[in-house]
Amino acid sequence: MNVDFILYIAINTLVVLAIAPLFVSMIKKVKAWTQGRSGPSVFQTYASLRKLLTKEVIYSPSSSRIMRITPLITIASILVAALFVPLIFVPEPVGGIGNIILFLYLLALARFFMALAGLDAGSSFGGMGSSREMSISAIIEPTTIIVFAALAFVFKTLNIFDMVSRMAPGLPAAPTLILISISLFIILIVETSRIPIDNPETHLELTMIHEGMILEQSGRNLALMELAAAVKLTVLMGLLINLIVPLGLATSLTLIGILIAVILFVIKGSILAGIIAIFESSMAKKRFFQLPSLFAMAFFFSTLIIIIEVFS
Amino acid sequence: MIIELFLLAIITLLAGTIVPLLAVSVNRRYIRTISLCCPIFASLFLGALSLVVLFSGETSGFTLYQPITEFSFSFVIDRLASFFLLIIAIVSACVALYFSEYVEHMDGSSRRNILCGFTSLFILAMVLVVSSANSFCFFLFWELMAASSFFLVTFEYTHDETKKAGLFYFFMTQLSSLFVLLGIIMLYLESGSFAIAPIHGASTLPITAAFLVLFIGFSIKAGIIPFHKWLPYAHPESPSPISALMSGVMLKIAIYGLIRFLLDIFTPDLWWGALILAGGITSAVLGVIYALKEHDIKGMLAYSSIENIGIIFTGIGLWVIFSASNLPLLATISLLGALFHSLNHALFKSLLFLTSGSVVHATHTRDIEHMGGLAHRMPYTSALFFIGAVSISALPPLNGFASEFLIFTAFFTSVAFVSPLFKVLLFICLALFALASTLSAACFVKAFGSIFLALPRSPQSEVAKEVPRAMLIGPGILAAACILLGVCAFQIFGIVGFNVPLPDMFLISLLLLGMGVLVYVVLYVTASREVRVSETWGCGSRSQQASSEYTGHGFSEPIDIIFSAIYRTRTKNERVFFDLKNCIFREGTGEIHLLKVFEEYLYNPISQLFMQVATKVSRFQNGCLDTYLLYVFVTVIALIIFLGWFA
Repeated sequence: MNVDFILYIAINTLVVLAIAPLFVSMIKKVKAWTQGRSGPSVFQTYASLRKLLTKEVIYSPSSSRIMRITPLITIASILVAALFVPLIFVPEPVGGIGNIILFLYLLALARFFMALAGLDAGSSFGGMGSSREMSISAIIEPTTIIVFAALAFVFKTLNIFDMVSRMAPGLPAAPTLILISISLFIILIVETSRIPIDNPETHLELTMIHEGMILEQSGRNLALMELAAAVKLTVLMGLLINLIVPLGLATSLTLIGILIAVILFVIKGSILAGIIAIFESSMAKKRFFQLPSLFAMAFFFSTLIIIIEVFS
Repeated sequence: MIIELFLLAIITLLAGTIVPLLAVSVNRRYIRTISLCCPIFASLFLGALSLVVLFSGETSGFTLYQPITEFSFSFVIDRLASFFLLIIAIVSACVALYFSEYVEHMDGSSRRNILCGFTSLFILAMVLVVSSANSFCFFLFWELMAASSFFLVTFEYTHDETKKAGLFYFFMTQLSSLFVLLGIIMLYLESGSFAIAPIHGASTLPITAAFLVLFIGFSIKAGIIPFHKWLPYAHPESPSPISALMSGVMLKIAIYGLIRFLLDIFTPDLWWGALILAGGITSAVLGVIYALKEHDIKGMLAYSSIENIGIIFTGIGLWVIFSASNLPLLATISLLGALFHSLNHALFKSLLFLTSGSVVHATHTRDIEHMGGLAHRMPYTSALFFIGAVSISALPPLNGFASEFLIFTAFFTSVAFVSPLFKVLLFICLALFALASTLSAACFVKAFGSIFLALPRSPQSEVAKEVPRAMLIGPGILAAACILLGVCAFQIFGIVGFNVPLPDMFLISLLLLGMGVLVYVVLYVTASREVRVSETWGCGSRSQQASSEYTGHGFSEPIDIIFSAIYRTRTKNERVFFDLKNCIFREGTGEIHLLKVFEEYLYNPISQLFMQVATKVSRFQNGCLDTYLLYVFVTVIALIIFLGWFA
């Protein structure tokens, strides 16, 4: 582990923490526009998080230690997962950081704890959320793994760092990139619980999945959970952006380079946030038991990429 | 030194078998404690010798006794054998530690001495199977293992359920032995010796047939679907430490057999690998899908064992495929993945069986719907079970992840190498493998949530108490091993001399810890520190009730509906109405039938066929001496004619 890498850890974590709430707000803003409202300010999420931090935490008497450690473990694993996707600067990978399988499983670690915390307070809403989240994550997993295997196959490496910096010889062709970006977009929507899978804006028991799981969280713990969700969104957006358009990524550590990279990343991210918002606004939430057929479509789609790649 | 240690271990285990059997009428605790100390000491010897062999890579062998020239009781301890000896040693030591306390809380007075004796015998048999140097020796001890485990399963022989389970287990295990014996005889006919040595001239028909027969034999023992049915019968009915031994170790002996025969005797074809892979993937996916439906805690663990054995078979299948297509690097990764998962599964599954034994001991029920709230009442047990659950769900940084990671890596990198047809096959298998892996996380969220979290759902669970300390030490060691093998996986492979493409989990764990501590410190400084304990909002009800919680059934309902094609659940509704337009409901009945696919379509037809044949054959047995004399007479005449004709 060299100095560059330690700096990378610091920069990447700070940038992702700073930008994540912005992207969440941007999606909300654009969604509000499409509905003809002016919507909250783009800095609203920062204000909400700050407010939550000043509030007390309420635990249920039936909840165990799981409830108390879940927010910390969730944010820690999501932040470590964030290190796997270079957002603005690509160092040499160290000790398997950037491995695409480990990345997926760090997200799974966070989900595991969140689902347990959902069950911990003994409320039926939490249990419902956990049950749905684990079911959905299970049936989307074949698609996710196929897409990631396709990535590994196309870029000829298992490491996201090498994919982003295009180290491996033989750039993938543009049509392949388009197909991959569509698949990654589907995974982004599913993993971050957005319409048509889940509705991030309601607390209605008929629709909620992710929000149901964190219903019993409060105060600073809730702030951590919300921040973790925002970071996860940003990281998955960053993965999509930097794989498809790695333009502007800094390869050496200079202040100017980093600044330009940050600005470019915010611009690219805002565009993607706009696309996500428009996508969400143009869709209705699917019924829960219609989701498997949606996932089956996504699965065949991603298998198609593989077959095209294998036989071309 | 290795041979001396080995003999010492065997003598200790023999002592552990004989002492309680001699003192069978003495219902004293010390007899059982002495008997169970023997496996612990033997495990120490075995552990030491296997570590030495693993690091040095030396092979040592000796012949104990040679009754005839073709056959001898000889033993060889090489690296592969010592790896499996290590698995046996760790698990048996922890199980014996736990058992020494657990057995005192069991019913059965002095009959428990026999249980302890047979436990030692069972461990001894497994040790001898693994170190056998020739295939006939292998078979003899394999049979000893099968027989001794039968007595362990049927300890509570007065219960009807146990009787049925025992009978089922006995049939399946004898079927397995039969196939293994058949395979060994076929190999003997081919090569002319019982030696475990390469047969040249690969895929001729007899050799392929021998492989298939052996594969079926090992699959029955390992619990590969469709030969898996004995696991969900035998595991819930046997005492928990015995389940831990059987699931943790005995299934691995079948894995050992398969690897040993593939490695040292056969030159596998590509399609053999595809066959093993298909069996593995099917078991992995169906095993976990059935586990999700199971609400008997030990039944669930049994199905989860089927899943994990499936994962190991997947690794073995990949190994065969890659070595048959000349990709030694990938083959090594897959084989290491399979072996490492065998060790890991032995650790976390015996941990889970032991802790679930503690839970059953405390709540007197095996139904997870009657548990709940145990995290407060059994804090240590719940923490240990939790570590097991995280490991088995293949979450970083624990050990289950490290081994599944190796198999995933083999899948991911293989696609660039093998032929297009195999690529498509491997991709399908990869998708199913990932499905099994996440479903098992869902399964253990459900299990841990229903058993330990929220409010107690029954009076027994309300008054449950933490188990004695001796029942925490054994699982504690296993849990520590799970953490160690996960966090230091990369370093351990390095020490043993394999350079595997594992990420440095130690670094990742440090990062996780660092991030957690950092966030905690920042929050401690900046955020509010107030904490209040207040009841969960119950939608207006005056106090929170267990009946309003999400149940285990409810939790798995979405998966149940999504995979309804596999569960084949049949629901029947009959309703009678007061009016003609069917509006006002009068009465009705509803039924839910779980179709046991394999039982109804595979096991029952075969057993019925055998019953029919047996009924016909039994007509010859009328119990009358004259008839039997007639049979003898007819046979003699027939023999004379036969010999006269041909000789």
